[in-house]
Amino acid sequence: MSKDDIVRIESVEEFLVHAMELEEASYEHYDELADTMEVHNNLQVAELFRKLANYSRLHAEEVHQRAANLDLPKITPWDFKWKCPSTPEAFCMDEADYMMSSAKAMEIALFNEIRGRDFYQQVADNSPSEAVKKLALEMVEEENWHVEMLREWQASMQDEQPQEDLDPPNMPE
Amino acid sequence: MTVPALKAKDYKSGIKAVWCPGCGHFAVLSALTKAMAHLGLVKEQVAVVSGIGCSSRLPAYIDTYGFHGIHGRALAAASGLKAARPDLTVIVAGGDGDGFSIGGNHFLHACRRNMNMAYIVMDNEVYGMTKGQASPTTLPDWSNSKMTPHGTGIPSFNPAAIALAAGAGFIARGYSGEPSELTRLLVEAIEHPGFAFLQVLSGCVTYRPDQKQWKEEVHSADSDLPTDDPVKAAQMIQAGDGKATGIIYAKRFPVWQPENRTDAEINEIEKEFLL
Amino acid sequence: MSDRPSEAISKSYSVAITGSGGSGAVTTGRILLEAAAQCGFQGLMTRSAGPQIRGGESAAMVRFSPDPVECMGDEYDLLVGLDWRNVERFADELPLSDKSLILSDPAAGEVPAVLRSNGAEILEVQFKKFASGLPGGRLNMVALGAATRICGFTLEAMEAGIRAVLGGKGEEVVETAIQAVRLGFNHDHRPRITLNAPGKSDDHWSITGNQACGVGALRGGTRFVAAYPITPASEMLEWMAPKLEKLGGSLLQAEDELASINMIIGASFGGVPSLTATSGPGLSLMVEGLGLALVSETPVTVVNVMRGGPSTGIPTKSEQSDLNIALYGLHGDAPHLVFAPLSIRDCVFTTQWAVQLAEHLQTVAIVLSDQSLGQSQAIIEAPPARELPLARKVESEPGGDYQRYAITSDNVSPMTLPGTAAGMYTADGLEHNPHGTPSSMAVDHRSQLTKRLQKLEDFDFGDDWAEVQGEGRRCIVTWGSTAGVVNEVATWLQAQGSAIRIISLRLLAPLQRDRLMDLLSDSDKVLVVEQNHDGQLFHYLHSQGVLPANAESLAQPGPLPLRPGRIIRALSGGN
Repeated sequence: MSKDDIVRIESVEEFLVHAMELEEASYEHYDELADTMEVHNNLQVAELFRKLANYSRLHAEEVHQRAANLDLPKITPWDFKWKCPSTPEAFCMDEADYMMSSAKAMEIALFNEIRGRDFYQQVADNSPSEAVKKLALEMVEEENWHVEMLREWQASMQDEQPQEDLDPPNMPE
Repeated sequence: MTVPALKAKDYKSGIKAVWCPGCGHFAVLSALTKAMAHLGLVKEQVAVVSGIGCSSRLPAYIDTYGFHGIHGRALAAASGLKAARPDLTVIVAGGDGDGFSIGGNHFLHACRRNMNMAYIVMDNEVYGMTKGQASPTTLPDWSNSKMTPHGTGIPSFNPAAIALAAGAGFIARGYSGEPSELTRLLVEAIEHPGFAFLQVLSGCVTYRPDQKQWKEEVHSADSDLPTDDPVKAAQMIQAGDGKATGIIYAKRFPVWQPENRTDAEINEIEKEFLL
Repeated sequence: MSDRPSEAISKSYSVAITGSGGSGAVTTGRILLEAAAQCGFQGLMTRSAGPQIRGGESAAMVRFSPDPVECMGDEYDLLVGLDWRNVERFADELPLSDKSLILSDPAAGEVPAVLRSNGAEILEVQFKKFASGLPGGRLNMVALGAATRICGFTLEAMEAGIRAVLGGKGEEVVETAIQAVRLGFNHDHRPRITLNAPGKSDDHWSITGNQACGVGALRGGTRFVAAYPITPASEMLEWMAPKLEKLGGSLLQAEDELASINMIIGASFGGVPSLTATSGPGLSLMVEGLGLALVSETPVTVVNVMRGGPSTGIPTKSEQSDLNIALYGLHGDAPHLVFAPLSIRDCVFTTQWAVQLAEHLQTVAIVLSDQSLGQSQAIIEAPPARELPLARKVESEPGGDYQRYAITSDNVSPMTLPGTAAGMYTADGLEHNPHGTPSSMAVDHRSQLTKRLQKLEDFDFGDDWAEVQGEGRRCIVTWGSTAGVVNEVATWLQAQGSAIRIISLRLLAPLQRDRLMDLLSDSDKVLVVEQNHDGQLFHYLHSQGVLPANAESLAQPGPLPLRPGRIIRALSGGN
């Protein structure tokens, strides 16, 4: 997503559908990463991703509550206005690795969270609606809090070197 | 009573995938469930059929009817199912080895038979499940497999060209790194009346880490595509780099489906044997 | 003791018609069989031909009798030689004796010595000369006329036979044929037959074994077939395709046998009883698919019309040599059903039973028909419809925790079909737990293996597992098409006051071991008869511990049919 992309969201309803899609995709993505880390017995990182999934779930819940009494438009999956190939907070899958360290996991999470924040910031910058701007800025604030929290976690982690796999991949079929 | 619309995650079975973290197939799974939700498919009216390989594990992760068959034969099983049960939405999924090598013959004939189904090939140019051997779409000089230490030395298979030559009426290419676009392509493929072939570039993080480069290489197909002109489609496919995403070719041909007439009883039929 | 039972029975008459390809031997045989049917006889016509479309050797063998005819006799009463080109290639398929009559056209040259050597009488009729006097006249029809008289058929019966076989070619062809037949019929000779014609029956069918398997499949509920053409099974598919359409089903011509088997598995998963038909090479290709059907418990039936093997073998001729692959071809512990029809008429019941048992037990059924059944035309008593209380157990209202592979009291788990809400599952060739989720745990593997075995072992197959005829301390055990000739031997021996028991196995797997051992318990001589080289049934029965140590094997490979005399000799210790 380049800085030149202009995201122009017109109404609160349209904004909330975007936010909902973004946050839901975010927790599903973290859950998926947590699941696959569990499957591959990288439990430490799995736990980390599960924690992130739960934060996103709370966030999505909040968006749902805000949208509770509104008549939301239906947006087809490929017509969302973010200018990236996926939802902003659920990308970068191919950086994952079953042996990855917590530090690497944080790197992925930060990348996603910052993209989420940037999306909300762009909405705030470009929306013609004051109500949308206000809402978007609230979301930016929350995302900033996330980003800060992740940075703190990251700082507390040692930059481990990827370890050697003593049990190399085995394939089931 | 109106049934509340299903969301993408309602189409997931909840079974944890065995795919490696970072595998492109996660994005295909996610895009497929989004496409199904978008189309509002009734879950029990859908059957996802596959063969063997990493990608062929897909049916277990989707909450519909599923058939995880044997290596290379997904299209055959799906064709039988569709012939017998035309009311079902049949989606076939598999990998490049399953579809283009051991199942190559079925691929050709499914293209020309033109039954109404979508065929998704998650192409990572490698056999992942058997630990990284060259597949039909692997470039000839890829020498990272112990089984072909000098590379295969034979040109790679061009799925779109072969689908076109075999008579497919819908040929598209997607990329797991562009799930929104992929969702659109899946919707189009499922809705296409006839056999719809969708090649998805879906990288293997474990055996083909070089495919992370695809992010830089994949690009949108020319804006004048899709075409319904097979000659133009052939030119585009042959001139292309194999990394252009979008619908390349879309043309409606008669869909093959057995006609089921019921106007006879068995004892009537048996009368032909009387003297 | 004479070793010529079919002569001794003398209640049948056998005719062979030979000619080079294109001479019309097969059409002549078909009409002769139809004429016999019009007279009320039952009968059988087999054919022998080279592998090319036409031009090589060609022969039709017809045998008729007031009683059911389920095999060819020891020798021919009448040999009609349309010409003698290439006849030496199958002279060994045309046994004659000093009681035989050879009908020959002097214009075709002298009757070859190999046919004259047993002292057969020769009767000359100028087929070609008579035919040339008639516009469009064909010499095979003149020969047929002469044969009509020798067989004691009426001209009316022969005309009806001509209409039955040639009616589709138009009235002119029929009229010309009838005129040519009259010329041969009126030639100066006399009937040589002592059989009394029973009079036309309204309850007789004219049918091939391949068609009969088709009828059985339809009676059993088959409504989807996918198949790849192969000799000698194709006619079954050709017959079924339009019939399936009329019954709301369909036939799909697949790209290969790998596709056929997987297509029927897909269709059956969808809830439609499904079948394929093939022959040895095709069955070899299908074996992996059979394992999938078996493990996913998706019912399918394969009709395998056996031909000479292994590999391409002798595609146009019969052999019972696919028992081993049918029993043991699958990898893993893979119990399934194997059947063999005992006659053309029995192709109807056995195939119906196989299809319905596959459905009922959610497993694989292989039906071992063969070329001699499949491609032979028979006049038979119409097989009565049989209602079998065997159907697929379908779960149409699954409860909350539906388990596709639940362990049940009979080990058959009710199956949901696509379209049923709350019953969704993924069928899998991977070993699985009761829910259908892939599992490599020992406990799941063991319990599912046991389930798949016990649902077959514990099922009561009733009395249809074999046909048992006669009593006595001598016993022949046989299977499939060979039952016809073995029964003929038994009838002859019993008529002579010689006791013998015949056990013809229709159900080969699961072997009804206890029942078979019970029948064999008082035998002091057991002969296992089959048409293959290595004695596949003999070794199978030994491996199951059912045969006494002194049991003997009569295993004769194709392409020659087993004849009664061969079996008599084996019983008396000769070869």
